[in-house]
Amino acid sequence: MVLKSESECATVPDDGTRRSMLRHMLVARGVDEEACQLQKHGALDLWPSCQGQEAAQVGSALAVGPDPTVFPSYREHAVALMRHVAADELFAQWAGRTFCGWDPFRSRFFPYTMVLAAQTLHAVGYSIGQRLQGREDFVVVYIGDGATSEGDMSEAMNLAAVESAAVLFMCQNNGWAISKPAAEQMRTSLAERARGFGIESVRIHGQDPETVFSTSSRAAAHVRTERAPALVEILVDRIRGHSTADSQEVYRSADDIARARAADPVSAYAARLSRLGLVDPAWLDAVDAEVRELRERLVKEYA
Amino acid sequence: MTTVQSTSLADRINTTLADLLEEDPRVLLLGEDIGRLGGVFRVTRGLRERFGADRVRDSLLAESSIIGQAVGMAMSGLVPVCEIQFDGFSYPAVNQLVTQAARIGDRCNGQVTVNLVVRIPTGGGFRGVEHHSESNDALFARVPGISVACPSTGEDAAQILRHAVTLGSPVVMYEPIRLYWRRDTPARAPEPARSPTAARVVRRGTDLTVATYGAISHEVLQAAHALSAEVDVEVVDLRWVAPLDLDTVLESVARTGRLLIVHEGSKDVGIGAEVAAAVAEHGFDSLRAPIRRLAPARRGYPPADFEAEYLIGVQDIKDEVLVMTR
Repeated sequence: MVLKSESECATVPDDGTRRSMLRHMLVARGVDEEACQLQKHGALDLWPSCQGQEAAQVGSALAVGPDPTVFPSYREHAVALMRHVAADELFAQWAGRTFCGWDPFRSRFFPYTMVLAAQTLHAVGYSIGQRLQGREDFVVVYIGDGATSEGDMSEAMNLAAVESAAVLFMCQNNGWAISKPAAEQMRTSLAERARGFGIESVRIHGQDPETVFSTSSRAAAHVRTERAPALVEILVDRIRGHSTADSQEVYRSADDIARARAADPVSAYAARLSRLGLVDPAWLDAVDAEVRELRERLVKEYA
Repeated sequence: MTTVQSTSLADRINTTLADLLEEDPRVLLLGEDIGRLGGVFRVTRGLRERFGADRVRDSLLAESSIIGQAVGMAMSGLVPVCEIQFDGFSYPAVNQLVTQAARIGDRCNGQVTVNLVVRIPTGGGFRGVEHHSESNDALFARVPGISVACPSTGEDAAQILRHAVTLGSPVVMYEPIRLYWRRDTPARAPEPARSPTAARVVRRGTDLTVATYGAISHEVLQAAHALSAEVDVEVVDLRWVAPLDLDTVLESVARTGRLLIVHEGSKDVGIGAEVAAAVAEHGFDSLRAPIRRLAPARRGYPPADFEAEYLIGVQDIKDEVLVMTR
């Protein structure tokens, strides 16, 4: 690990934060499940599922807090929900109603970008622009492993490094660029690549939201105190296909898919907090009821 | 031949950029070698010394980085005026311009105002090496969300730049390289354009309309002046190729009954085709003769030794006008 720990920054989640993380993960999973259902019934045209990436998204979003502007890719649904984008607003673009269903400035969660890695340069430019105007310049940009092959990603890392821009690159490496496995996409880790550009970086497993929270907190503290970029590479599992248009069974072994499902971060974290006595069946039932009600509203709106 | 002495295009753009930087703290300049060097054509010389390196920014040598970060800067409320060093180097920036700059306003449901200008030196006729003499105006003219300006005088460039920084959507402004430092140019009618986005009738005439834009508009005027004893040519300088001011062209054709379109970018699927189609659709009854186009054939810009035969010259224009009015 290259990033230094910041003592003034809470890097270990307290119990309230842990429950909050589980709650956000469960809500994100429920919303994602409903989106997949609605797509199956033709109510949504497409849905890029984030199942398997909830711990990475929730842990990182909670760690950076509500202040930085987020430039997402197009799969950061858990982050969107945490930025108070309503689930029906999140669905709107996948139902063909708009290109962005939420208010990007109120939520400080910018529109999804379909052209891969284009948003990385926007993020760096936005941070520089904010700095030049004496405003909050801490920016978080999400990117997947596939998109890091785009030239814009390399340009953005270099630009952020030479401009010392306050940009935190959050790379969720789910091991697949649609059907191209990570081993065929790159010879080094993304964390190593970032260091080649002069960017502090770290690589972690993304199954446990607490690990993601702690690491992201330290990375955010680095960006805030050094006014310099950082990159966190989070290894995650992609439980479903790249999108609902994609049958991963065609190119991915049944064993690998089964392994990803077995490593589900949402059920793992629910079991862990239950074991630790941090949540009980009543708490889980309450969240379940909340998710059910949310899904019913989504069905009413979209089905 | 009537020619006039005027401030050069480069000087006029330089003073306009300085004025914009002076008047609006949100304006900044971004491009390769525009600061310390003052740009490869010295269009921005002296500005870094005057306004500082934060506002006159020497960019990395990466065109996608220039436009990509400018999109982010515009989203933060700044007004970036970018420079791409040569037209032939604009391709790495095309993705950011077409898929991002042109669309981000709509993607944000109009909640972001993208005041973003991209200045691109363009065109040939100065013995440039490969990729340094291209005319790609038609490329971006096809892209909804991008306005494309092609000024041919310093006065027009100043007016267009001032308008572009307030438009709220991206503007690509092509600056003809061979005009940057030219001071003697054919005389133009003094009447101003109706608006900053309007075309301009730069010579009044009765027999034939030539619609043109950019550097070659000067050759058109030279040809028109030279032919004045035989044919009375009206010249419309379009000034913008997207969106096109077709009203001014149609009004002119209604007066003259003939239309020739002349441009430096290659002919096929070019701006001339669009103007010709629009006049055929909306002004057919005014026409006394078929519309014609005069532009280079569809081939790559040649090595400098052969550019004279590639480019449309004054004699070519005169010959074409005479063919159409014979």
